[in-house]
Amino acid sequence: MISGTYTVIRSAEPDDANAMWRLYDPSRPRSFLLGPTREVMIPTQDEMREMLGRRDVVQGSFFTIEDRSGEIRGCCVLRGAKLESEFAEVVVALDSDAAYETPLADEVIEFLEKMGFVDKKLNKLVAHCLSNETQYRAYLARHGFVSDGIQRQMVYTRGQYFDLESLSLFNAAHNGSAHGTAVAAS
Amino acid sequence: MALKTSVFIRRAEREDLETIVGWMEDPAFQRFLYGDPARSPKQIREQIVGMLGRASARTLPMGIYFMADSPKYGPVGLFSVVGMSWRNRSCNIDSYICESRRNGMFGTVAFYRVLEYCFQVLNMNRINIYIYGFNTRSWRLFELTGAKQELVLREHVAREGQLHEMYGYGLLRSEFDKLREWFLKRFAGIDLETMISDYKQQQQTEAVKETT
Repeated sequence: MISGTYTVIRSAEPDDANAMWRLYDPSRPRSFLLGPTREVMIPTQDEMREMLGRRDVVQGSFFTIEDRSGEIRGCCVLRGAKLESEFAEVVVALDSDAAYETPLADEVIEFLEKMGFVDKKLNKLVAHCLSNETQYRAYLARHGFVSDGIQRQMVYTRGQYFDLESLSLFNAAHNGSAHGTAVAAS
Repeated sequence: MALKTSVFIRRAEREDLETIVGWMEDPAFQRFLYGDPARSPKQIREQIVGMLGRASARTLPMGIYFMADSPKYGPVGLFSVVGMSWRNRSCNIDSYICESRRNGMFGTVAFYRVLEYCFQVLNMNRINIYIYGFNTRSWRLFELTGAKQELVLREHVAREGQLHEMYGYGLLRSEFDKLREWFLKRFAGIDLETMISDYKQQQQTEAVKETT
């Protein structure tokens, strides 16, 4: 458990399933909801509970974010760490778009960056956002992520296609920003 | 201009296993397609056997595998249509053309026909192609078909102890329709329909020869 100024970040547990399920809102397409073939996946609460009960899936990669009052505000994930390619994907799913502009969100990404770059010694973190996730994209850019490109008409949901943007943050750029060097964000 | 080519595409079968295993000797086959350093040749072989297995006729396949074949030269390449999303109407294509046939039109014709299969038969809206930066020949082929380079993933794939770029290409149905119009004007006979009717005609001719 990591206790910060604004958050408590801890490994997700089956009892978080009900609170976590609120994030899986089909009316609000988000990159967080995409499965392996980039399809929007909405699990049932039982499936969420089952998934959060699998230690091999959850431990060390899937975290619950609480605010200081103990309310669950979202989750964050560091997944698919490939040792030979030295990168992993980060996901930060918060309960509202406005939350990405708060210090709580900053603390979450700092936690993921530390885990990826310091603990796992990765070279790169990657993230994705759909074309409608403007606040999430701005949040990633503010933390030094730069665009690797946009895949057009990648995801179809709610009667329309969405573009999917890939972003990355390199360890060198992250260390640079930590020491006061400007990091380009598109 | 009418296209005179003997290359055609067909489903890969279990009988093709030895041909594909033979291609595994080509360093490009592993380097460009199945080069995960964490996997042994045995594991790659097992994956290929799995690819060539027959799926139940009632289930939607996870992947479709085509051999590019020619009566004159035999099998010349392999195309994998994988990562299919029926909801997004998209899929990924991986391709391999054997070393001795990389300098002709074989790759272009076969690849065009696989694209036509994906858009016209599977009714896809988008094709994804992921390719390593050092595979220069392939990304030229993809650009020739009108696929747009959308992603440049720096230091993304490990080969021989070094990290290389990976490119993501995308081809939309609207772009393919324009390409198809242009290709058919320029190379009459490149389309799947002509390929199938030529193949049937050839089978009939052979049957007549056998009976006489």
